[in-house]
Amino acid sequence: MRATRFHLLHMITGVLIAVLLGIHMVRLHLDSILDWFGVDTTDSTSWESMIARASEGIWAALYIALLAVALYHALYGLRGIILELTPSVKAGRIITWSFIMIGIGAFGWGTYVPLHLLSS
Amino acid sequence: MTESSTKQIAFKVQRYDPEQGDAPHWQQFAVPSSRGMTVLEGLIYIKENLDSTLAFRTSCRMGICGSCGMLINNYPHLACHTQIEEFHSNTLTVRPLPNLSIIKDLVVDLTPMFNNHKSIKPYILRQDAQEMENPTAEFAQIPQELNDFLQFAYCIKCGICVAACPTSASDRLFLGPQALAQCYRYCADGRDEGQQERFSLVDTDHGIWRCHLAGACSEACPKGVDPALAIQLLKRRLASQALGLRKKQQPSSVVSPPAETKPKIPFPEFTVKGSE
Repeated sequence: MRATRFHLLHMITGVLIAVLLGIHMVRLHLDSILDWFGVDTTDSTSWESMIARASEGIWAALYIALLAVALYHALYGLRGIILELTPSVKAGRIITWSFIMIGIGAFGWGTYVPLHLLSS
Repeated sequence: MTESSTKQIAFKVQRYDPEQGDAPHWQQFAVPSSRGMTVLEGLIYIKENLDSTLAFRTSCRMGICGSCGMLINNYPHLACHTQIEEFHSNTLTVRPLPNLSIIKDLVVDLTPMFNNHKSIKPYILRQDAQEMENPTAEFAQIPQELNDFLQFAYCIKCGICVAACPTSASDRLFLGPQALAQCYRYCADGRDEGQQERFSLVDTDHGIWRCHLAGACSEACPKGVDPALAIQLLKRRLASQALGLRKKQQPSSVVSPPAETKPKIPFPEFTVKGSE
């Protein structure tokens, strides 16, 4: 059931991207709605505001989760396309491991800033 | 064929003979066509009257054997099941099925499709091997259970779904709609116990999850089988099992065959009596 589990995870991450990215978009761009709820959205797209948000645990966790699900969804989808276009068992293995390494590298790089801001 | 009811149709046929070393090329034939004439009859006319070297497969001429699948006016059809007048055109292009290698002219090599079909074990698998080898009775199946997979059992293995499938066009390791639909057909059969065995065969990198539900297979199938539906139902079974939502099915029990009964309506008497 390996391929099935990976594919189900691909579908679940698609839904999670919509949710997490939705939260991010609402926080940054839908000021009028947030104002109605009484949230202070002053200058929410400025650098200082962004750094301040990333220093909060809940926002750092949201962005790290968004990075993880987006990376999995994107790389698994791209892997599927490439596997279809280069149908070979050996090539498939190389492609899979390349994408795992790219994913881990990109995740490590992407989480460095929020983790650094949290610890400082 | 009377003069008034016939009209000339230009058959543009793709010719290719790997043994000659030529590239595939077009050859045009003028075929007299009458109402109700099929593309296969046109090809038979060409072979009998114009060019006996034209190669194509045919057998039953009634959409049962699945031999005469070909690309007619850029769409996969059974030649025996397709009337010339359906196209409302004086020109027909006839090519071999795509996604399969050409043996000669309109004859394609269906071996990869049959190998994929064989790989999913298209037969009833049971745990009680002794009963399978030496049956003592019948496996029970009610009509509702039969309806769950009956339409998928109408597959004639013509290869038209494989020719129409966009994934089969790019991924030569893909199992293809024919094999996947037949996998569901046997998994959905209440007499079968081989679901787990088959799941491991289709749950691969080039297996069931490579199907993107284009639906071209179902649209092209000349027998009205819906391979795309079968694949979706098989995906649901796999997903349910992976999530632990699927209950284990009890295989159908072995029952004695029905006892011989008298016909309800008596057999009519012969109206013509033999001389005594």
